[in-house]
Amino acid sequence: MNKTVETAPKRVIDFLSKKKIFFGISLAIFAIGIICNIIFGTQLDIQFTGGTIVKYSYTGQVNEEKLKEVAQNATPDNEITFSISKNMIAGGENTGDDYIVSLQFTGTDSISFEQQKAVTEALNKEFPDNGFEYSESTSVESSMGWKFFLKCIVAVAIACALMVLYVTFRFKKIGGLSAGMMALAALFHDVLIIYFLYVILRMPIDGNFIAVVLMILGYSLNDTIVIYDRIRENRKVLGGKTPLDQLVNQSLTQVIRRTILTSVSTLMAVACVYAVGIIFNLDSVTKFALPTMVGIVSGCYSSIAIAVPLWVTWVNNKKKKGKD
Amino acid sequence: MKRVSKPVFFITAIIILALSYFAIFGFTTQYGDIKSTVIKGVNDIRWGIDIKGGVEATFKPAGDVDATDEEMEAAKAVIETRLVSNNITDYELYADSASDRIIVRFPWKEDEANFDPEQAIDEIAATAQLTFRPGASYATTDVDANGQIVYKTPTGETEEVLMEGNNVESAQPVIDTQNAGNYNVALKLKDANVFKNITEKYLSQTVSIWMDDIMISQPRVDSVISNGDASITGTFTLQEATDLANKINAGALPFKLETSSFGTISPTLGASSLTAMAYAAVAAIILISLLMIIIFRLPGVIATIALLGQVGLMVATVSGFFPVFSSFTMTLPGIAGLILSIGMGVDANIITAERIREELRGGKTIDMAIAKGSKNSFSAIFDGNVTVIIVALILLLVFGPTNILSSIFGQSTTGTIYAFGYTLLMGVICNFVMGVFASRLMLKSISGFKIFRKKFLFGGVGK
Repeated sequence: MNKTVETAPKRVIDFLSKKKIFFGISLAIFAIGIICNIIFGTQLDIQFTGGTIVKYSYTGQVNEEKLKEVAQNATPDNEITFSISKNMIAGGENTGDDYIVSLQFTGTDSISFEQQKAVTEALNKEFPDNGFEYSESTSVESSMGWKFFLKCIVAVAIACALMVLYVTFRFKKIGGLSAGMMALAALFHDVLIIYFLYVILRMPIDGNFIAVVLMILGYSLNDTIVIYDRIRENRKVLGGKTPLDQLVNQSLTQVIRRTILTSVSTLMAVACVYAVGIIFNLDSVTKFALPTMVGIVSGCYSSIAIAVPLWVTWVNNKKKKGKD
Repeated sequence: MKRVSKPVFFITAIIILALSYFAIFGFTTQYGDIKSTVIKGVNDIRWGIDIKGGVEATFKPAGDVDATDEEMEAAKAVIETRLVSNNITDYELYADSASDRIIVRFPWKEDEANFDPEQAIDEIAATAQLTFRPGASYATTDVDANGQIVYKTPTGETEEVLMEGNNVESAQPVIDTQNAGNYNVALKLKDANVFKNITEKYLSQTVSIWMDDIMISQPRVDSVISNGDASITGTFTLQEATDLANKINAGALPFKLETSSFGTISPTLGASSLTAMAYAAVAAIILISLLMIIIFRLPGVIATIALLGQVGLMVATVSGFFPVFSSFTMTLPGIAGLILSIGMGVDANIITAERIREELRGGKTIDMAIAKGSKNSFSAIFDGNVTVIIVALILLLVFGPTNILSSIFGQSTTGTIYAFGYTLLMGVICNFVMGVFASRLMLKSISGFKIFRKKFLFGGVGK
């Protein structure tokens, strides 16, 4: 009984011949990302750099210049930048005239607690009719923020190293280490894409970024593994004589439906979260869902278009060298 | 293929649906006005302060003080008593001796719209007032996080202050030489005369020790102590003796605490985002189910049941549904872990259904296709999930209580990312239970029904 006849798809898509296009697309995105990065720079959230943001809710119109002046006078040592947004979720008695002002105190250290209270008092004194109410605040000391950031990076690095080890061990039959390294390359690809998204949208790198990156790492690696698994299985079924390109193309053709379906269902789920975030004007939710959606697309793409073609190129090059 | 008997499908499906129902909605009984929770549901999940609103603050010694480990523990003990006296029992508290920081997080107090976080933090970090007072009369009581009764507000004769904490040089837990296994607290005093006078006047009477407004100990004066070395004897475990010594030391701290960083999120913001997230979750489940059923037909229906089961099981692991897992504080990264693991669960079903479809289109019978599809798809699901387990374990170890990198980065860097590791690990386990085991059991069972034995229903091309 010839197994290949049974399992081989009718039409094998030649993914590998398009690898130059794939690499080109990714490199083009990276180029745009790098240019934007040079122009905009990288913004780190005060969670990592230290600093203070205080938000107040209020009703009615306020002279913005005056507002800045009052807040600035209360904290003479720190320069203030601020933004005002409409408060959509003030609760039951939302009159449509509610606003949130977000004051950011520059400088690498958190402003003291006393200073913050001084700002609250000054605002209430100056604008007694607007009902300035302390809504939320974040204030972080710079040294602690950095430590947390570094720790996140070290944790991700350890996790990546162990995942590569696992892939090396489990996919020995198809040249484990190179497979692991190329899976890692695809992960870097995804992290860079998410990073550039943050840069282009000028969102500061914060704790959400770390969470999104971790999630996409797991997601993307799972995608790559499913493909490797199919290559491993087909190698067993088809035997060692089938050319690598044909083997990989056939495997990719077999898993492409699954990869797309999984991505679509996850994407739909996150899109629901994003849509609800937009409707309810929940900043924290949309800021989390948007990079996640981009990461899902990138993770799905990088497995098929980056990890596997890279790996095939690598193995073929090695073979050529071996023959010389 | 080993046939699975027909009722198995119904039994599994009913168990899954019942589990999901109770895990999500919980079960409460109403007796008069008293509502008691028998089974914990979604509403009983403890949400982290980044979702529900709350306060996070970091305290450090004011000025350039290099505090010792004991002093930091003592300072932590002060904050702990303060939290309790402010009625805040649902708190997280860490002392990081490497960087001399104390981190406290607590959710917004419920039913308190006028809660002032600035004032609360002020109160919590204020210098502790340790006092020794005659008698042990109190006016009010409270219950702390462990369900112990706390005596508050000195009254009557106890209103008088005999000695203040600054006369205490140190307090330490010591082994009781008379009773094996028992511990006492040894006090060393700065001015022995003050204490001598107290012990003379109140010999054979109670002199209670208070921190701020709370009585922390009520020893009886057994003898006159003139050398400044006192001992509080009683039946203490090592832990109890250490706690008491910490509290007493706190009253003698040589530094003030100042707030080095803090953050608050208002509860209005939190509550509405929770409702919104609930809508999103329901919409996402409906959409995924529709997609699965349209593409995979019968296996899609089963995948939908398994998906419900997985959501239910995941909720159960964080809400405290199972007594073995205490309820867990869910944060935004925790939700990210939840989404990833549910995505992986859907993926497991997709991989299996795809393989079955492939086998059917290759000309296999339904039984053979299910058997072969299940077998061949397992290694992909297994390897994918194990790599995710690796990530989850690293995050749990690094950001959890074990904190394996604390020697480099300090203990205070335990963050919300711990929740990501936790939900991910639980999610992968649920995934094997629901997405792999239950889902396959149902599939094999349902394929025994004659009306379902059509290749079309399993994704094959029609007749």
